[in-house]
Amino acid sequence: MRAEELKGHLDAMLLAALEGGPRHGYAVIEALRAGTGGRLDLPTGTIYPALRRLENAGLIAGSWSVVTGRRRRYYRLTPAGQRALAGRRADWRDFAATVSAVLEGGPCPDPA
Amino acid sequence: MPGPGLIAGYLDALSGQLPRQVIDELADGLDQTYRRYLGLGLSPDAAAEAAVAEFGAPELIAAEFGRAHPARRAGRTLLGIGPAVGACWAAALITGRAWTWPAPAAAAIVPGVALLAAVALLAIAACSTRYRSVGRAGLAGCLGIAALDASMIIIVIAADPAIGRAALAAMAASAARLGLSARLLRPIFAWSSGSC
Repeated sequence: MRAEELKGHLDAMLLAALEGGPRHGYAVIEALRAGTGGRLDLPTGTIYPALRRLENAGLIAGSWSVVTGRRRRYYRLTPAGQRALAGRRADWRDFAATVSAVLEGGPCPDPA
Repeated sequence: MPGPGLIAGYLDALSGQLPRQVIDELADGLDQTYRRYLGLGLSPDAAAEAAVAEFGAPELIAAEFGRAHPARRAGRTLLGIGPAVGACWAAALITGRAWTWPAPAAAAIVPGVALLAAVALLAIAACSTRYRSVGRAGLAGCLGIAALDASMIIIVIAADPAIGRAALAAMAASAARLGLSARLLRPIFAWSSGSC
């Protein structure tokens, strides 16, 4: 899979990375790295502004903690973020099923 | 410690462009990345180089934060709805024969100049990727548009007591934009004051 295609879904993947509970930026990066098998080839520093953008949109909420003397910012999904993630997931399933039906000749899903 | 020194230099390059809270967060992430490479068996120098390379160029990170700044969205939003509000006011001023109002010339010139200045500031906020420029221009542009809307409402009420439908519609449009500006300003203040 092309890295560019993955980047187009970065916001949804960031929301999914926070679905299991609060994480700090580096833990989100690690979750994306593990979840994509290392295919998400983007400068990891760009994850932090993306998290701030999602926070500004009200989809995640950030808060500071102090861990071993260093300030660390944790993010968690907001209810709006949970709804957005559910919506993105439904859209993706519909999109994937439709494209698969065309590319692989399977049955096309009924339109929602 | 040349390894951590490289990381400190990297953060120094960003600290002139981004607020301290953002630098703190990046420093934490960079430190964890550095430790990960140390754990993989790299020397301190190599681990620092790998961590910095993985993070991306400071200019890229600063520009991404500039793009994420709420002032950028505020600038685009206000520029997007500006023509509609402007059209309402144009209709109100024309149908109300504003040129016959007993208002001083400054009442016509000052709002026009203020509007041009606010639009220019919002355009900077909407297009720039320099974090501080985006924040300052967006803040000033939003405040300028809010002040302009409030002033226009007051000027029309004072100059034309027999307010027509067009003027009412224009004032309603400005009042709505005033509320929107207030909502857009809240996160800009939070980002500018470093409280998030």
